Order: sequence, then structure tokens, then C-alpha cells
Amino acid sequence: MDNRPLEYDYTIAKMFMLTTVLLGIVGMLVGVILAWQLAFPGVNLMLGEGLAEYTNFSRLRPLHTDAVIFGFTLSGIWATWYYVGQRVLKVSMAESKFLMFLGKLHFALYLLVVVAVVGSLLMGITTSKEYAEFEWPIDIAVVVVWVIWGMSIFGLIGIRREKSLYISIWYYIATFLGIAMLYLFNNMAIPTYFASGGIGAWYHSVSMYSGTNDALVQWWYGHNAVAFGFTVPIVAMIYYFLPKESGQAVYSYKLSLLAFWGLMFVYLWAGGHHLLFSTVPDWMQTMGSVFSVVLILPSWGSAINMLLTMKGEWQQVAASPLIKFMILASTFYMFSTLEGPIQAIKSVNALAHFTDWIVGHVHDGVLGWVAFMIMAALFHMAPRVFKREIYSKSLMNTQFWIQTLGVVLYFTSMWIAGITQGMMWRAHDEFGNLAYSFIDTVTVLHPYYTIRAVGGTLYLIGMFLFAYNMYKTMTSARRVDESELQTASPMGA
Amino acid sequence: MFHWLEKHPFFFAVAVFVTIAFAGLIEILPNFAQASQPVVGTKPYTTLELAGRHVYIKNSCNACHSQLIRPFKSETDRYGHYSLSGEYAYDRPFLWGSKRTGPDLMRVGNYRTTDWHENHMKDPAGVVPGSIMPAYRWMFKNMADIDTAYAEQVTVNKVFAVPYNAEIPMADGSKETVKLAATLEEAHADALEEAKAIAADMKDQDVKDAVAAGQIPEIVAIIAYLNSLK
Amino acid sequence: MDIATIQAYAYFFFTAFLVVVLYAYIYHLYSSQWKGKRDYEKYGNIALHDEIDDQPVEQISKNDDKKVGGKNE
Repeated sequence: MDNRPLEYDYTIAKMFMLTTVLLGIVGMLVGVILAWQLAFPGVNLMLGEGLAEYTNFSRLRPLHTDAVIFGFTLSGIWATWYYVGQRVLKVSMAESKFLMFLGKLHFALYLLVVVAVVGSLLMGITTSKEYAEFEWPIDIAVVVVWVIWGMSIFGLIGIRREKSLYISIWYYIATFLGIAMLYLFNNMAIPTYFASGGIGAWYHSVSMYSGTNDALVQWWYGHNAVAFGFTVPIVAMIYYFLPKESGQAVYSYKLSLLAFWGLMFVYLWAGGHHLLFSTVPDWMQTMGSVFSVVLILPSWGSAINMLLTMKGEWQQVAASPLIKFMILASTFYMFSTLEGPIQAIKSVNALAHFTDWIVGHVHDGVLGWVAFMIMAALFHMAPRVFKREIYSKSLMNTQFWIQTLGVVLYFTSMWIAGITQGMMWRAHDEFGNLAYSFIDTVTVLHPYYTIRAVGGTLYLIGMFLFAYNMYKTMTSARRVDESELQTASPMGA
Repeated sequence: MFHWLEKHPFFFAVAVFVTIAFAGLIEILPNFAQASQPVVGTKPYTTLELAGRHVYIKNSCNACHSQLIRPFKSETDRYGHYSLSGEYAYDRPFLWGSKRTGPDLMRVGNYRTTDWHENHMKDPAGVVPGSIMPAYRWMFKNMADIDTAYAEQVTVNKVFAVPYNAEIPMADGSKETVKLAATLEEAHADALEEAKAIAADMKDQDVKDAVAAGQIPEIVAIIAYLNSLK
Repeated sequence: MDIATIQAYAYFFFTAFLVVVLYAYIYHLYSSQWKGKRDYEKYGNIALHDEIDDQPVEQISKNDDKKVGGKNE
């Protein structure tokens, strides 16, 4: 055997870093196209009449959400898992050939699924359930990928040196379990080809649940997929990367543990708020509202814990764009976990549901919190993974401000659009007739849709800066040695 | 006890799972039997309507249109009677949607006609000035997938006992029956009969020719579906 | 008793149970600190000292250690 000292092995982390950047750009590019289509419908024909079927808003919309959720975010979760997991368990992937093989298999199968998803969604093969659009053959592949990740988590835990599991590992485990349960139950379907004895499309299936039940299961999934895809794993990241980058231990480790159990307990109940005023039982809608409000507590527990971690160290926020990204992320986390419960209050929901305010809420959460945190994590990982300093600090700063402006334009325009439209839908004139026809409530949104498209475009420009910065970091930035990598990440001018 | 849990990843995972699974168990399972009972007058879809529903899903119409009328005056004024749980009994999947970029379609069959849909799908802004809906001209060229629709009918009839070929009580006290064809050929013939009635109200010559030649374009199927939404 | 009643009871008792557990957990976290049994804050250092040759905050037991060590050689 060679006698090099044992090192962490970031092979798999690097692979997922690559897909994080690529799929992030794809997902957000499609999102920007959609935004311009809503402002200027002519964009639906951007590649001509012949390809209209594939460039149309309705075909691209699921591709946008799925590329951002299952492409960008999931890749980010896995890139950080294959980095953070080794470090806080103090065990290297290089110590187990089996885990290394699993990791590579994980990535290869994931790529296959991505290709299948993009192809099938463009062809219009979808179950129509939001964030669960994939037909059964892809669902099966997704389950396989997920099981492999689970084996990787518990395999690495099995050979760990550090006896206690760091709080981030708790969150990764919860992500794994939560999504597994939700995904399996929501995607229960019967392939019609086999049930009917070989008639029709082989990939088509019919949901096991009908009507109201189907909606109940879908929003139990839809809401909690957000919980376990956009909240839990991102909290895992910030609990590791912020302390590491700033050199400050978590302000209160006890609070982080409590917030964990609080979140686990409360989050799943809040799904009912998607179905207020629908045909699901009343008590459940009320529970959805109440628990959504209670949910503020554990969410803010984590966010405040992060901000307090920086206590006495605020000069670092000014000095380091990397810390800026993380602090803004946790601020947006507080913001959108306050906004969400407000929207779940029944009277507010009556106004906000079905409008662009909901779209705004999703995006301040995802652009402000999820994407900022994932990019910060990748920035922190890059010097340690590639043994080079971050290529350009000023580029990072530029990116930070462009994207922050983009997010602000996005959510402010969608707030106004949503509330305007909600008010117009319900307005009656003095004779008790509806004051506006539906189309009036559409045309009035044009300026806000345009502002939103500009905001989205700014964010996408920031993504390109991010990709360029990462590429240069990987290929041509100054080489650094171990001693420079202890706390704050080294950055070039 | 707590510390023991923190040291044993397997039991820790079990504890997390119990905590998160509990809400689902109590919220979802007990309502299953109750919520899926159809209300009087709710019929399963015919083969052509179901094929149209597949076209609706294929093009993610539900990304912009809801099918859920909430019990507010402003909504019942605009769209008709508010939605009842049982009206969705044969909807697999549900198509409530989550965003109204366009109007609700739960009862669109009550106030729009075949002719209106035909013009609107070709050129939405020409029918509704200011509309931001894209045109769906490929629906006039692509053919609907009747095989898969029939396969789905057979499946739901066999697995979920959806009442095809059975008497269904209607609101006015009469009874109606929705036919499930015995063979694929028969299903095709029935769907074509239905398609002919719709094509008769349409102007597009290509569609009329296709139907006359025994084919069913997507546009005919989706109009059949939209007309059934009442 | 119909299913809705069972549902309501199940909901109430399980929620009450989990709330009690959560408070017991808070008590446990702080009492183990007062009694000097275990200071949970030290686990925050797992993230800070995470190089592969850093001393783990809590070493896994001797038996397991040998197994891991065995794979290294």
C-alpha cells in the first residue's frame, strides 16, 4: 500500500458540484423564458411555429420547477452531503471501495434520470401532479437512486470515527426519510398497459387515489417536498458552512437540536394549508392553518441561531462576500417562513390563493434562501476541493448584488401582482355584479410581469457569473496549501 | 434515553420517521373512504373525453387553469356552483391546479361552445383581446391517443370499480349509462361517433377531413373533455 | 365510535405525547449541563475541527476504532 496520509475524497462531491451549476443554469434559464412568455406571449413562438409545441409555456413550466428542484437543489444537496458527510463523521470515502462505488453509481443513475425527465417532460409525458410529474418508469429509477443515497448515508455513518452525529447529519437523514416516504405514497399508480392487458402507451399510469383524496395526498407531498427538499437539507448546509467559514461554533447547539425536533413534528401538519376552502374536511384545513403559524417557531429557532452565531463577528459579513451570501440566505429564510404562515391564515389565503403572490413566496424562498445557500456552500467547497483559491472576490460581490436586486424585483412585483389580481377577482360594483371580467385582471398585470422577468434575468446573469467564477477557480486560480484552508476561504482579487 | 437515541443512528432514524409519518397517518388515511363517494349526477368519462383529458394533462393546462370553485360569492358569480368533493370521484389525477393565470374551468362546459374553443385554441388573443395564453395549433394536427384512454377506462373499471355499463342516478331522477366498449376496435368506433358530432360544429377543414377519414385530432378530444366539464 | 372520533382522539393524544416529549427533551438538554453530565455545546466543535487527523470530539468505542484502523493499513 502507498503511504500517503489519508485524505478526504471529494470525487463524488465534484461530480455533483458540476450538475448543480449546469442544472441550475438550465432550470433558471427556462424560468426566465417562462417569465418573458407571460409578459410577452410572442416568446412562446421563439423557435418558430414548427417547434411551438416544445417552446410553449405549458410544456416548459414543469421542466422549470423540476430542473430547479430535482436538478439544481438535489445536486446541491448531494454535492454537500459527499463533502460535509465525510468531514463531520471524520471518515474518508477512500476508506471504503464499496461506498466509493455506490457514490459513482448514484451519480451515473442520477444523470440517466435527468435525461429521461427532460425528454419525457418535453414530450408531454406527465402525471400532472406538481413536482411529481414523472411517470412510473422514472419513478422506479428515482426510488433506486434514493435507496443508493440512503445506503451511502448509513454506510458512511457505519464506519465513522466521530461518535456523535453532528446536527447537519440529522438534517440529511431527515431529508432522506422524509422524501422517501412522501414520494412513495404520492406516486402510487397503476400502469394501464399492464392492467388492461397490453393496450395503449406502456408508460402511462393512473393514480391510485381519486379526486379529493388525490389532492390531499398531492399537497401533503407538495408542501412537504418543500419542507424536506428546500428547508431541511439547506438548514443542514448552513449549520455546517456558516460556522466553518466564520470560525464560530453554532451559537447554541441545544437550540439547534430543539429546532430540529420542532420542525420534524410541526412541518408535516402544515400541508393542509394548500387546500383551504377546498373540499377537504374543515378541521384539517384549520389544522393546516394553525400548524403553519406554529411553524414559525422552529424555523426562526434555526435562523436566529445562525444570526447569533455571527455575534461579535459582524465585520466578517462586510469583509467576506461568502458570509454575505449565507447571512442573506438566513434572512430570506426568516422572511419566507414568516410570509408562508401569513398566507396560510384563512382570510389571507382567500385572497392570495391562485394568485402570483404564491409564486412570489416560492421564489423569495428558493432564490433568496435555497439558491444563495447552495452557491455559498459551493464557493466554500471549491478551494478545499480543487486546492485553489476562489478566482475572484470582486466577481462574487458583483454577483451578490445583482442577484439580490433580482430577488427583490421578483418578490415585490409578484406581491403587487398577486394582491391586485386577488382584489380585482372579488370586487363587486354597487349592484352586486362582478366589477371586472377575467381578462381585465390579466392585462393589468403586464407591468409587473415585465418587472418580474427583468428580476429573473438579473438572477440568471448572476448564475452565469457564478459558473464562470467556479470554472476559473477549478482551472486557473492560484494554488493554495492546506494551511490557508482552515477557516475563511481564500479568495483572489 | 435522549442521549442514547443520538448515539444510535438507526433508532434515531426510526424516531424521525415516526414523528413525520404520524401527521400523514392521521390526516389522510381515515378520510379516504368518505371523500371518494360520487355525488348524484357525476358520471365517469367516455373514451373520447378521457383522451381529451390526457391532452389537457399533456399540455399542462392545469399549470394555468384551476378546476376548483371556492365557496365565495365572487367565485360562484363568475364560475358557477362551488365545487363538491364527490364531483371529483372519477378524477384520477385531480386537476385542481394551484394557479389561475387563466380562469377556472370546473364548469366551462356550461358557458363555452365547441366553436368558441376551436377559435380560441387557434388564436386566443383573437377571441379574447389581451389574452396571454399561447396558441395550441398543433392540437389540430396531432392525433389523440384513444388506445391509452381505453386502457385507462379498462383499468379503473377493473381495479377501482368505476361504474361503466351501469345505471347512474342523475339530478333529475333519470338514469344514465356510460358505456365501456368490450374491445379496442369498438372503443375506437364509439369515440369516432362522438368525434363526428363535435367536428360537425367545427370549421377547420383539416380536422373535418381527418375525422371523415376515421382519425381523431387532439383538438376534438380536448373539446369533448372541456364540454363535459359542467 | 366512528372513524372521525377515533381520528380526533388519536390526534389529541399523540400531539400531547409529543409535546411532553419535547419539553422533556428541553429539560434533558439543560439538566445534563447543570449536573455536569454532558455539555451539548461541545458538539458544535465537530464542524470546526473536522480535518481527518483532528481528534474526534467523542471517539467511537475502542472496538470500532480497531475495525476502522484495520482498513487503513
